[in-house]
This record gives sequence, structure tokens and C-alpha cells, in this order.
Amino acid sequence: MAQQALLIALFPLIAFVIQSLIGKKLPRHGDFISVLAILGSLVVATPIFMKLITEGHVFDSFQVTWMSLRGAEAGRLNSAVTIVIGVLINNLTAIMLLMVTLCAFLIHLFSVGYMHGEERYHLFFAYISLFSAAMLGLVLSDNLLTFFICWELMGLCSYLLIGFYYKKPSAINASIKAFMTTRVGDTLFFMGIAGLYYIYGTSNFMSIYKAIELGTGHGVTILGYPALAFIGFMVLMGTIGKSAQFPLHVWLPDAMEGPTPVSALIHAATMVAAGVFLLIRMFPLLEAAHVVLPVVAYVGAITAFLAALIAIVQVDIKKVLAYSTISQLGYMVMGVGVGAFSAGFMHLITHACFKACLFLCSGSVIHSVHTQDMREMGGLKSKMPITFATMFIATLAISGVPGFSGFVSKDRILGGALAYSMEHQGHYLIPFLGFATAGITAFYMFRMIYMTFFGHARDEHKHHHAHEQPFTMTIPLMVLAALSFAIVFAGPTGIESIDHVMPVKWFDHALEGVQVEMGIAEHLSPEAEAVHHKAHGLALIISLAVAGLGIFLSSITYLKHLLSAEKFKRMAGPLYNLVWNKYFFDEFYLGIFIKKGLLNFNQMLATFDDKVVDRIFVDGWRDIAMVTKNVIGKFDDLVVDRLMVDGTADVMSGGGWVLRQFQTGKVQQYLVLTVMVIIVALFFANLGLK
Amino acid sequence: MNHLLSFSSSLQGYLAVGAILFALGIFCVLTRKNAIGILLGIELILNAAGINFVAFSKFRTGLIDGQIVALFIMLIAAAEAAVALAVILRFYRLKQTIDADEASILRN
Repeated sequence: MAQQALLIALFPLIAFVIQSLIGKKLPRHGDFISVLAILGSLVVATPIFMKLITEGHVFDSFQVTWMSLRGAEAGRLNSAVTIVIGVLINNLTAIMLLMVTLCAFLIHLFSVGYMHGEERYHLFFAYISLFSAAMLGLVLSDNLLTFFICWELMGLCSYLLIGFYYKKPSAINASIKAFMTTRVGDTLFFMGIAGLYYIYGTSNFMSIYKAIELGTGHGVTILGYPALAFIGFMVLMGTIGKSAQFPLHVWLPDAMEGPTPVSALIHAATMVAAGVFLLIRMFPLLEAAHVVLPVVAYVGAITAFLAALIAIVQVDIKKVLAYSTISQLGYMVMGVGVGAFSAGFMHLITHACFKACLFLCSGSVIHSVHTQDMREMGGLKSKMPITFATMFIATLAISGVPGFSGFVSKDRILGGALAYSMEHQGHYLIPFLGFATAGITAFYMFRMIYMTFFGHARDEHKHHHAHEQPFTMTIPLMVLAALSFAIVFAGPTGIESIDHVMPVKWFDHALEGVQVEMGIAEHLSPEAEAVHHKAHGLALIISLAVAGLGIFLSSITYLKHLLSAEKFKRMAGPLYNLVWNKYFFDEFYLGIFIKKGLLNFNQMLATFDDKVVDRIFVDGWRDIAMVTKNVIGKFDDLVVDRLMVDGTADVMSGGGWVLRQFQTGKVQQYLVLTVMVIIVALFFANLGLK
Repeated sequence: MNHLLSFSSSLQGYLAVGAILFALGIFCVLTRKNAIGILLGIELILNAAGINFVAFSKFRTGLIDGQIVALFIMLIAAAEAAVALAVILRFYRLKQTIDADEASILRN
């Protein structure tokens, strides 16, 4: 099974190769190749998922040795490292594979319509194929090394895709920003992987789980820090970079410069999910490190809250979704941080579906009205009924309305956070920020819906030209909207106390299996069980209340216009300013790190390049070449030509002259010579005889 | 006298005469400008060789073949003198001289 699963990642990779080499010459610029490839992946991934559903558990893996390295003698714990890579199929993988292939397939399908007629159409499909291949490879990896390779490949693809409209300066800047910002996290993450090799000599997930269960690695230090905490924080930094967590969240909103299907792919189903997926894969290690998890929780909670606040004031439809993505990713990270591991993973899956739907719907709207500014939209409900319906369903899901998928996962995360704060006194900020975010999320999502689809058309011309999209674009929306219902993941309503009568909980069963595999199966004491039960009950009520409040406030402000948003804006004053400028993070980074640090460093490098590399190495090399040329030229002239060529001739002519002196033409001289030669010859002959 | 007589009736005496004759011939050949003088020197050298042949045949082998070779040498010397004189005659017609140093046309 694991070998066949490799095909899932290989199909899009092959599509990428074909597309990038001959895509332009193919009919339709080869878009069908990419779509068919990802469909092939989906077809291969489905049986694995169905096996999980029917048997409740899948596990398979295979390994190949990539290379054996003789280690440095200085390594205390491991003197030699054998790098073994392979494929790991477990419940997590099965769910992720289906989610990624399905979302990616629908996004590919949507792209066929959305990107129609664009320049570099074939390259777009090449890139998203590579992107899908990288994400699927990452999910399939059984070790952090290939995981990291795919992780970096996605960074590359995000760079290429965000900068796809390469003629727009803002797109280029955004692509560089995304690439550089994630690079910070990636570098630290790689140090974490190095740390893992240092203490365990492997980065295989199953080996790590086993090692942690056995308790090895405690007491080892790296750079003076406890090894597990060090690795845990480095892994967290990787996640912070890739999943756009505070304080490295700045790249994600700018990444909206890419084509909308790309936003859906990067920011819903694949890349940002990879960061959370990493946390989930490494959860046993984070848990064993003790100090890491609270930090994870705080990072997630702060990110969720701050991003949600920014989303309120955005007017660009994609920017709203971008900040909501950051906010929801914060939820997932928070979920992992408070130990609500399965809830975090569930939110990853549910969010992927409804956020992909939201992004594609926004793409549909943008494609229709040719603007991203919500102030120029309005009244699109009747013009684009399918888009409206699907986007509304997805909005209900993200806002946490019962019966929809987002409610189930978010409620569980919030319950977990509340339970965490009850168990660990003093961490009240985490659930507080969580609930506040839930309310704000409902508020801004409904604000977006109202501004886009309800009310009167604020731009008559654009409204007039708006139209519903063709089927290739609406079918993905409908499928993704259908996946936004709670029943797909849990019981009919998602409220645990009601649904325990009819257990359809394939997801929970799957996650329990994973926890056993990881060695972190929860065995709660009755008291803890009671606390959890109480927390979840309380969380349910509070989250329903805040979501309801958010929707209510949004409705009276943006639908009924009983409250004026402008008045609030003026009332909030400096606060509004702060949020509108995204807490001045960009300015901060630009001012402190880029201008003060990086730019100076760049200038230093440029000077070095100019003065040292160019002058000394390049020009110096020229000088050396000139001198060498002269020396060789002289050698050629003097030694080869003069000495050897001319010299030979001179020797010959000189010899000729010498010999010519004997040829006097005088018979008697010849005779004298003859006699002398004979005398000499006889003399020597005589010597010989004696 | 007795010593001289014994010398004259021994091989060494003949060889000494041959050697003196040979040296005189060589000297003549090398020093004469006149082509006929050179020819005379050659005759002396040939006859020195003939004396040697006769001496060796008389004192060493006791056979007659050495003396026959001496006769051959005389014969060839006569023929050679005839040819050489003819050459000298032609040369004189060409250059109005019989100085051997003038016979250097082939050199340049």
C-alpha cells in the first residue's frame, strides 16, 4: 500500500515535468495533464481513506536507505548516521491525503476556468502541480528530512505562484517577502532536524515516538539548552514561518497578490496546513519537552486574536480571507498547544475545506466583477446564486454555527483551551482570546458576506456585468460547500452531548488510533474527565453565545445599518489606526530588520562583491591571465620558435657550413685528409691489437 | 756490412724499401701542383705495394701468386697512366694549365 501511495505524489510531479517542458505546445496548453494527474492522485488516495473508514485503522510503511554517512568523531552520541527515507501511511496520512488531493483537484478544476486566457497558462499548471506534489510528498514522508525537502519545495512554489503576475511590482515584492519570511522559520526548523539527528540519529517519526516513549533524550543538551526543548522550539519556529503565525505572519496577506486559486491552494489546503501538520506529527516531542506547548498555545491564541482584529477593518475581499486564514491557523496551533491535538487536526481538515471554498468563491466574485474591493461590490446575491449559497455555507462553517464543520472543530479547540486553563491555573488568557476570536470571526465573516452579496449595488457598472460562473468553476464550490457540513466529520449536529446517540465518528476513531501510535493516548483520571466534560459544556455555550453575538452585531451594522461602522471607526480612533496598519509590523520589520540590518548587510556584501570579488578575484584573475599569457607568449617566441625551430635550422646550416669547409675542390687536400684518417685509424687499430 | 747484407736479404729490408717508396710517393702526390707530378707519385705508391707483394710472397708463403699480383699492378699502372694522361690532356685543352688545383668546376 505504501509503495502505491508513492504514486499519489508522483503523478503531479510527472505532470509538472511534462508541463514545464512541453506544456506550451500541447492542446489547451496542457491543463488537462495537471488536472488528470491530481485526479489520479485522488483516485489512488481514496482507497486508502476508505480502508480507514471501513477498518478504522491503516498502517503501512516502507523505507529505503538513502545514504550512509561516516560521522565525525566529535559526535558524542552518534558517530555515524544512516539516512533512511520512506513512506508512512497511518490514519493521519490517510485523512490528509484525501483532503489535499480532493482540495487540490477541485482547485485545479476551478483554475481551468479562472486562469483561462492568462499569459503563461501552462506554467501556472506546472507550478500548482509541483505544489501539490510537494505537499503530498510532505504528507507521505515518514521522516523529517524528506518532509523538509518537500517543505522547501512548497516555499519555492509559493514564491513562483505569488509572483505569477510578474509584471506587477507588488506581486514580485510579495513573492520575495513570502519567501524570505518563511526562510527565517525554515532555517531554524532545519536546525531542529539537525538536533534530532544529534540526539536520536534519526528523523523517522515512528523512531522518534518510540524513543520518546522510552524516555531517551532527556538530559541531553544542545548549545546549553535541553535538547528536547531546543528541538521543540525550532520545530515551532518552522511552523510559525510556514503557517504564518505571530510574529512571522506578515507574508501571508501580501501573498494574496497571486492568482486566487493559488491563494486557495496555498492558504487553505496545502502550505500553511503543512506547518500545523508538522506540529501534529511532532506532538509527542513537544509534549515531552514540557516548556514548548504553553508557548505554542500562546503563539496560536495571540495570532488568532490579532489577525481576527485586522480582518474586521479590511476592505479587500481576499485580504479578509487572508487574515481569517492566519486567525484560523492560530486556532489550530492553539489547539495543539493546549493538548487538544485531535481537535487541532480536525480544524486543519475542516478549515481546509471551507477556506478553499471561501477562496474559490471570492475568486468567482473577483472574476465576475473584476475588483477585489468590497466597497465596490454589493447586491451580488441574485446575480451569482451558486457562489452566494456556497460562500454562505462556508461562512456559517467558519463562524461556528452548529451543524457545520467549523463549529465542531472550533468548539473542541475552545473546549480544550478552557479545560487547559482550568487544569493549569493562570492561563486564562488562552481561552479568553480564543472566545473573543470566535466572536470577531463571526462578525467579520458576516460583514464580508453582507458587503459583497447583500444591499444595493454600490458600483452599478460592475454589478451589471456580474454573472454566474461556468460549471467547471461552480462544481468545486458546491463540493467544498458540501464538505462544510458537520455531518461529514462528526454526528449530525456536531454537539457531542446530542450526537453520542448516533456515532458516525470515524474521525475520532481514526485520531484515537493515531494517539496510540504516537504513544500519547490520553488516560484521564475521573476528576480530569469531569473537568474536561464541564469545560466542553461551558465552551459550547460560550462559543455559541459569542458567535451569535458576532453575527447579530454584524447584521445590525452591515445589513440593517442600525449602527454606523463609520462612527465606530471614529470612536476607536488610534485603535483603529493601529489595527488598520496591522500593528505596524511591516513598518517595524522594514525599519528595524530590513533597513537597519539587512540592507546594511546587503550593502556590505555588495561592497565586498565590488571591491573584493570583482577587483581582486575577477580583475585579478584577468591580471594573472595577462601575465601568464605574456610568459607563455615569450616562452613560445623565445624557446619554442627561436631555440627549437630556428635552432634546429641553425644547427643544420652551421653543420653544413662546417662540412662545406672540407669540400675545397682541391684533390690534394682530400688526399691529405684521407691519409690522415688512415693514419689515425691504423693507430687505433694498432691499439686494439695490443 | 754483414749486418747490412743480412738486412738486405731479409723481409724487413724489402718492407723498408717499400715503405720509403710509399712515403716518397705520398709526399709527391700531396705536394705537387702539377698533375703529371701527382701521377708520378701514384706510380711510386703502386710500385711500393708491388715490392711488398713480392717480398711477402718470397719470405712468407714461398708461393708465386704474390709476384703475379706485382705483375698485375704494373699492368694496371700502365693502363692508369694512359687514362690519366688522356684526362690531363683534355684538361689542358680546357684550362690551358695542368695545375690540379684548377680542377674545381664541380665544387660550385
